[in-house]
Amino acid sequence: MYIIEHDAKELLALRGVPVPAGCLVEAGIAIPAQLPSAGPWVVKGQITMGGRGKAGIIRKAAASEELERHVRSILGTTVRGRTVSAVRIEQQIRGAAELYLSLLLDAASGGVRVIMSDRGGVEIEAVPANEIKSEVAPLNADALAACVLRLAGSFQNVAAHALRNAGQRLARIFLEFEMQLIEINPLFVYPDGSWVAGDAKLVSDDNALPRQAELHALVESRAGVYPEAALKLAHGFDYVVVDPDGDIGLLTTGAGLSMMLIDELRTVGLKPYNFLDVRTGGFRGDPARLVNVLKWISAGRHIRIMLINIFAGITDLGEFSRLLVTALQQVPEFKVPVVARLAGNGLSDARRAFEQAGIKLYTELDEAIAEVQRQLGAA
Amino acid sequence: MINPRIDTTAGVIVQGITGRAGRQHSRIMKDYGTRIVGGVSPRMEVRDVNGIPVFPDCRAAVDATGATACVALVGALQLLAAIQEAVAAGIKYLVTPTEGMPVHDALKALHLTRDADVTWIGPSTPGMAVPGQVKLGFLPNDSLRPGTLGLMSKSGTLSYEAGYRLAQRGIGQSVWVGVGGDPIKGTRYADLVPFYAADAATRGLLIIGEIGGHEEEDFAAALIQHRFEKPVFALIAGRSAPEGVTMGHAGALVHGSHGSFESKRVALNAAGAQVFSSLGEMVEGVARRL
Repeated sequence: MYIIEHDAKELLALRGVPVPAGCLVEAGIAIPAQLPSAGPWVVKGQITMGGRGKAGIIRKAAASEELERHVRSILGTTVRGRTVSAVRIEQQIRGAAELYLSLLLDAASGGVRVIMSDRGGVEIEAVPANEIKSEVAPLNADALAACVLRLAGSFQNVAAHALRNAGQRLARIFLEFEMQLIEINPLFVYPDGSWVAGDAKLVSDDNALPRQAELHALVESRAGVYPEAALKLAHGFDYVVVDPDGDIGLLTTGAGLSMMLIDELRTVGLKPYNFLDVRTGGFRGDPARLVNVLKWISAGRHIRIMLINIFAGITDLGEFSRLLVTALQQVPEFKVPVVARLAGNGLSDARRAFEQAGIKLYTELDEAIAEVQRQLGAA
Repeated sequence: MINPRIDTTAGVIVQGITGRAGRQHSRIMKDYGTRIVGGVSPRMEVRDVNGIPVFPDCRAAVDATGATACVALVGALQLLAAIQEAVAAGIKYLVTPTEGMPVHDALKALHLTRDADVTWIGPSTPGMAVPGQVKLGFLPNDSLRPGTLGLMSKSGTLSYEAGYRLAQRGIGQSVWVGVGGDPIKGTRYADLVPFYAADAATRGLLIIGEIGGHEEEDFAAALIQHRFEKPVFALIAGRSAPEGVTMGHAGALVHGSHGSFESKRVALNAAGAQVFSSLGEMVEGVARRL
């Protein structure tokens, strides 16, 4: 899960990482009369994307009229399909050099990669490779600390001091919260060697949420900001509305096949509403997941049809089809036609259940998609 | 070199055999021809599942049966301990289908299995198969067909669909490995390039990938590095996925250009692989070349 900058900084500050004084302002809420710092400020749109400065949702403000103007104009902006619903207002840092520091899980080398540079800031990707120091350490506190010391030692004076100090603190946080990525860019450093995290990009591990109480609480308290992670915590599967105007609800399992189906439907000009990996293998005889999915799909404003696509590996299609028939009875507001494509374990049982329920069943995906097209075209 | 072509006579034990998945899939694997010789469960009252003897721990199971391979069907937060137990008992080939293993746990397990020279496939994998001979995991029989195409996949369900359609066209698989959709895993696409290059039964290689991470790009680099000469095909899911949102698999997250469809397509094309973005095109493309 990609954590928004404001939450990331609050989390880091609680663990002793200096961050600029700041506060969150959500759409529809007034700017507090008493800001955490005097001006000048920076107004930063809170969405989980890089390149925010270039997208125009990070702006500097010297006076309070300018601040209000920036807050108004950034809130509600849409960047690459995502709407900015909150901004962080924080103290502008001046008179400091900009460094770069990150720690990330490196899948290829099987360790934690630590990256440092004394030339941080928005143009980090243009910095020549020989001015970026990087090394992989095994996932344990001592090895990581030693790695940070070695890398920081290759820089001069104040940069070395700040990178060493910040790196050691962040390495502990990386391990404690089971992070996949911590990136501080810029890491501001003053001439006296003191430092502050100018930006913070944190990617946590959704799989670790059940044993990460603070992150768990964060997701629950901010379900609006982290809808996918909150849904997974509450229900145990993945559901994402990919197009609020879509007219095809998808009842699918398996992340890869579900993504592929969305790609293929869009290629032929159809408009899928949602991504779903309902994990049919984990139903344990309970229709609850299906009941929820049918309700959520019914809530789509333009839904006209639902397409089921299940290729059963761990799943038993007989159990799935019986639970679906039960779930359909429990969700009377679900009224659109259903086209189903099933393949794999337990198909003959499923065929009987669907016949009784009057659901058209296909065994080939292309035929089911053609039927969806036919029904949407004919309506 | 990691060799996923498991010896078909190897004895296999199933950790978590008394659970739902353990009972069902130990039977299906056994029926397929896999030599399932034992199960492991701390539940002392169960001594036998589907005619398979059940032992209290891996050590006891290995001592009694001589098993060298293991399929672990345990909960996500118990998986690291299960892997530690299997490795300590001397298991050399390990398949872990469980989804949702914390990635820091996966990294610890990766170091452990590498140091002990254990082939680890998973987590979040549907398993592996040498079609017609042996399977470890859930790969559905409808999708398996003996043949000459090497197949590796991050996604279970998408690979079932791909394998099924290819099988209908008469194209079967030499060795099928579900590497899994998590960012940190025992075996990555790139790790298996030397094996598929050397494997005489493999005449072409298909990877089924998805957005997120860097694995397809690393695979492309490995093709170049090992001068891989057989035809390579790739099907990549998630071209239309939104940025900044995790799409089901822990690894399927695009941020910036990192992990994007375009980045993967460019890298794979540069390594000589044919990249497809729909199942139908992929099947036709493979059929033309094999």
